[in-house]
Amino acid sequence: MKIDLKSSKPIYLQIVEGVHSAIASGVYKPGERVPSTRDLAIKLKVNPNTVQRAYEELVRSGSLVSMRNLGKVVAKRAESSATRQSEMNVESAFKTGVEIARASGLSSRRIRELLDKVLKASEGKASE
Amino acid sequence: MSQLEVETIPLRTRSELALRLDGLTKRYGETAVVDRLSLELPKGSFLGLIGANGAGKSTTLKMLAGMLEHDGGTAEVLGVPIEDSKPQHLARIGYVPESHNLYRWMTVGQAIWFCKRLNPRWDDQTSADLLKLFRLEESKRVKSLSKGMLAKLGLLLAISHDPNLLILDEPMSGLDPIAREDFLDGVLRTVSNRDCTVILSSHSIEDVQRMSDSIAFLHEGQLLMHRRTEDVLANARRVRFVVENGQDAPELDSTVWARNENREWLVTVSSYSPLTYEKLAHSPGIQNVEVQELSLEEVYKDYVRGQKQ
Repeated sequence: MKIDLKSSKPIYLQIVEGVHSAIASGVYKPGERVPSTRDLAIKLKVNPNTVQRAYEELVRSGSLVSMRNLGKVVAKRAESSATRQSEMNVESAFKTGVEIARASGLSSRRIRELLDKVLKASEGKASE
Repeated sequence: MSQLEVETIPLRTRSELALRLDGLTKRYGETAVVDRLSLELPKGSFLGLIGANGAGKSTTLKMLAGMLEHDGGTAEVLGVPIEDSKPQHLARIGYVPESHNLYRWMTVGQAIWFCKRLNPRWDDQTSADLLKLFRLEESKRVKSLSKGMLAKLGLLLAISHDPNLLILDEPMSGLDPIAREDFLDGVLRTVSNRDCTVILSSHSIEDVQRMSDSIAFLHEGQLLMHRRTEDVLANARRVRFVVENGQDAPELDSTVWARNENREWLVTVSSYSPLTYEKLAHSPGIQNVEVQELSLEEVYKDYVRGQKQ
């Protein structure tokens, strides 16, 4: 998990997304404990209140479950909700891209071509 | 374009406040180096103080630490007005200045022993843990320590008595990246799970952004803004638009800084809402309205630039 301080996205949201993608990619499995607020704060070098805030959000959305004496545990159904969350993030990034494209007057066809180009480039990178 | 923007983080009783400044002022001759500073800080929170050299950060922090008298206004630190603070009250404050000139002739161990004698709240376990975490050697002379080690020793001496208020005045300037990480580590270990309020002043906006619940911009002695860190980013935007020939640019609410080049305008606002966009997009003679998000560094720079106009 990395914190991007150049981003306008609040750090607590970056942590929420970081945990989601860690669950989606299997770094944290259902039933496993996630790091304590204090440990994650020290690891990421961020304020413990910020991590606390992110964990509360994750509990509210059902990705984490608060267990007495055990701390926070990844929920049984967290994988699907984490995948859904990741997809929503991707969708919102696409939306921004499309808005920029529309503002510069690009056609839907041209937008698809550009997306294909980006996809091809990333496939090339992934197979290296 | 002078405006004071202070968002009081929900109303709290005095006992819940670690800090309450009301018009705090310090003058050197005619110049107010700290100019009517008002700010409230709940207990357990982490304040990041951002400002250029000469903005009044150090002077403010010295007054709070009881090292400098104020000339006007009031300040309550941990519930006690600063003019009434007694040694046992000051013992609840930890203070790390930028440069450590103290105890240079001593060894690390002697400096620790010396501070322990001065503070009845000293905790040997905390001190020993930090000594280990920071890889400080007790037998080393303070004057032979590197800048990073010296900063870490300063932190150890300031937090081993379990302070309720920790004041860090540019503690990490000039430290290498590893020493900085160790330092932040030490601070985080101290503040988590404890009743400790922290004020960190720094040039490094990144360090401040990482650590702070709320952020204050100080400029030429005045407070330009104090807001929750995430609210700063969530609400600040830069709006770009083009005006037709001969047209005046409309005033936007909560403008921090506005400038134009020919017909293109860039306006930074602190409290953007979709209404801002709607209003602009439907104004006659306004074209190509775009809204950009900003990093904290950009927000800070625009606040300062707005003051110079």
